[in-house]
Order: sequence, then structure tokens, then C-alpha cells
Amino acid sequence: MAKIFFDLVSPENLIFNDQVGMIILPGKDGDIGILPGHSKIISSLRPGRVMVYGEDKTLLKSFFVSGGFAEINPEKCIVLAESVNEMSDLDKSSIETEIQTLEANNKDDVEDKIYIARKKIEAIDSKFY
Amino acid sequence: MPSLKDIKTQINSVGSTKKITSAMKMVAASKLRRSQEKAEAARPYSSRLEEMLSSLASSAASGEGIIKLLTGTGNDKNYLVVPVSADRGLCGGFNSSINKETFKLVKSLESNGKNVQIMPVGKKSRDFFNRVMKDQILESFVDLNVSTTGYESALNISNKLQDLYFDEKFDKCILVFNKFKSAISQEVTQQQLIPLDISNSEKKEQKETSSNAIYDYEPDEETILKDLLPKNVSTQIFKVLLESDAGEHGARMAAMDNATRNAGEMIDSLTLKYNRTRQAFITKELIEIISGAESV
Repeated sequence: MAKIFFDLVSPENLIFNDQVGMIILPGKDGDIGILPGHSKIISSLRPGRVMVYGEDKTLLKSFFVSGGFAEINPEKCIVLAESVNEMSDLDKSSIETEIQTLEANNKDDVEDKIYIARKKIEAIDSKFY
Repeated sequence: MPSLKDIKTQINSVGSTKKITSAMKMVAASKLRRSQEKAEAARPYSSRLEEMLSSLASSAASGEGIIKLLTGTGNDKNYLVVPVSADRGLCGGFNSSINKETFKLVKSLESNGKNVQIMPVGKKSRDFFNRVMKDQILESFVDLNVSTTGYESALNISNKLQDLYFDEKFDKCILVFNKFKSAISQEVTQQQLIPLDISNSEKKEQKETSSNAIYDYEPDEETILKDLLPKNVSTQIFKVLLESDAGEHGARMAAMDNATRNAGEMIDSLTLKYNRTRQAFITKELIEIISGAESV
């Protein structure tokens, strides 16, 4: 089976760069599954999980992204994400305390952070993957 | 003529200064390496973003709201100048060249009848403009430590800038920063941040049009562009902060290297002076003894 190059890039560094079998991205209008030979697309992403599968459809890695963009062409898929966490690094209880502290100080810019933290918990609880 | 003891103290003090400057050089060298790596790591993101943007930008006509980051307000009256300097000194002309260039830019804009406001980043330029044009400072950012706080610090500046822009506080925003050319040389550069200046990337785009032509956009071009533009502002700022950080360490390394060398030269010449003076004293004493013995 063919492979597709997958780059996951954050502003601070290059997080993932390898050939993989399939990627599932949280597109703005719904999840997008990408196989080698996908048509050319530029899409923006919502906060959610990026799943990376190997050729034999085993889950290699899964990341949480807080939104960003994806550029896809038949040979390559590039994801630009503002912040990236590996799903295994996320800890539900610490995110919940983070939400509480964020809610405690009433600033204008916390709303986005709370929204993203909620999405993180959603991603952890999600059973669909 | 100074006494031997005076010269000795002078030699010692220059020697300890030399130790400090050479230690600072070492620290700067290792920090330079680290911040260079950071700047290197940030490059893929910003270059990808720029490519995406340039393929999208052509599709944007004039519009309201966020699109204004690209098209401008239509006015050319109020300018915001953002000098990016370091928080600390002892790095040669690094900070003063930024301040000088910004000062010149502000004056030339003012002589063309524009309103100019300043938003200094870094203690050294804040202090400078606090002295010379205090009433024009809109806001200042200090103690950023971009190498430890990372993207967050760029995000703060970018959010502030966009708030001000959409409140119509300014029409154009110009960054003045030190571009990192090599470990020993930096170049003072002006970059127009808002509205976005895509003329640089346009040439590149023309080459790639054939391969870039047929992308599907999801949800649609305008929505993506609206997401992309604010991100691009913060990414540009992040890039500038990283470059300036690397440049600062490079400049400090060069300055400290010079200082160490100068201290070495000074010690050499002082040692020579010390030896000569000592010899003069010995000769003088000998003459005294001999003439004393003769007179007996």
C-alpha cells in the first residue's frame, strides 16, 4: 500500500515528520480522513484529535491540536497547529483544575483557553477513536 | 610617575574585568547556539504559513473586519512603530542601532505629516523612548524571555496589536528589528506588519502558480483567510522575536570577544609599564648606593 508524507508543525518546532498510511484530521466542517493520493485541499481545523495510522491501520500516534490549518496534496499532508499535545500527555484532572483557575480570574482572553481546555477533555473522553 | 602599587592594582582590576567578559562571551556563545536552534525550528511553520497565505491572498478583494489586516484601512495617516530591542545591554551597538533607526524613521514620518506612535519591545528601547518621546509611547513590552516563554509572548503582542488596529488606533504598523545574518553580524531591518506586505512573496508565488492552482478550500477561501491572517501576524512577530534574540546573543558574543581582547592588550601594556618602572626604581637605588659609597 502506498504511503503519504505527514508533517505536523507548531510555531516552535517540527513535531512529526514521517511517511504514514492514513491520517484523520479535525476539519472545521467535520473530520477528514486522508489516504495517499488525496485530492488537493486547504482546510482550517477545529480543536480536536489528529490521529496518525500506519500502513496496516494500526494507530501510531494521536495528538491534540488547538486549531490550525492543513494543506493536503496527493503526496503530502502538512498540518500547521498553534499548540500540539500528545494525547498520552494530557491528564484529565489537571485540565479540570486548569479550567477552574481560568474561570476564577475573569479576563477577556480566558474564554478561548477554557474552550480549548473543554475540547481537550472531550477528546480524552471520546470513544469513537 | 605612578607608584608600583598603583600599576599592580590597575593590572589586577583589568585582569578581573577580562575574566568577566570572557565568561560572558562563553555564556553568550552557548545561548546563541540554543536560540539559533529555536529560530531554525520555527522556520518550517512560518514559511508554510506564508506559502498558504500567498496562494490565498490573491483571492481576497477588499472587505471589512479581519480582511483589513491584508487590505489596510484605506488611510495612510496614523503609524505605529514597534522597535524590537534586547532587555539587557553590553552587546555592542545592538540596541543603540535599533533606537537610532527607529528615531530616524519616526522623524521622517512626522516630517511627512503622519501621526506616529511607538510601542517598544524590550527594556533598552523602552528606556530610550521614555527619555526622548515619552508622550508617543502607546504601550511597552519588556521581560519577554522569548527563548523560555516561546510562542505565548508573541501571541500577547499580536493580540494587543490587533486590538489596537481594529480600534482604529493606527493604519500601518512597522517593525524595526535586528535581522540575524550571521553569528557576528546583524542588520537593522524595517518590516511592514500591518497591512500585510505580500509583495516579497509574490514573486515566489508566480513560479508556483502552476502547481498551486487547483486547491479545494474547506470551508471556503474567505473563512480560511480570516483564520490565517491573525495567525500570520503572531507568527511574524514570533519570528522577529526569535531572530532578535539570536542576534542579541551574537552581538554580545562579538562585543565580549572584543572586550576580552582589549583587556589582554591593556594588561600587556600595563605589565610593560610595571616592569619599566620597577627597573627604574632599581637603577635609581643602585645609583644612590654607589654615590653614597663613593662619598665615604
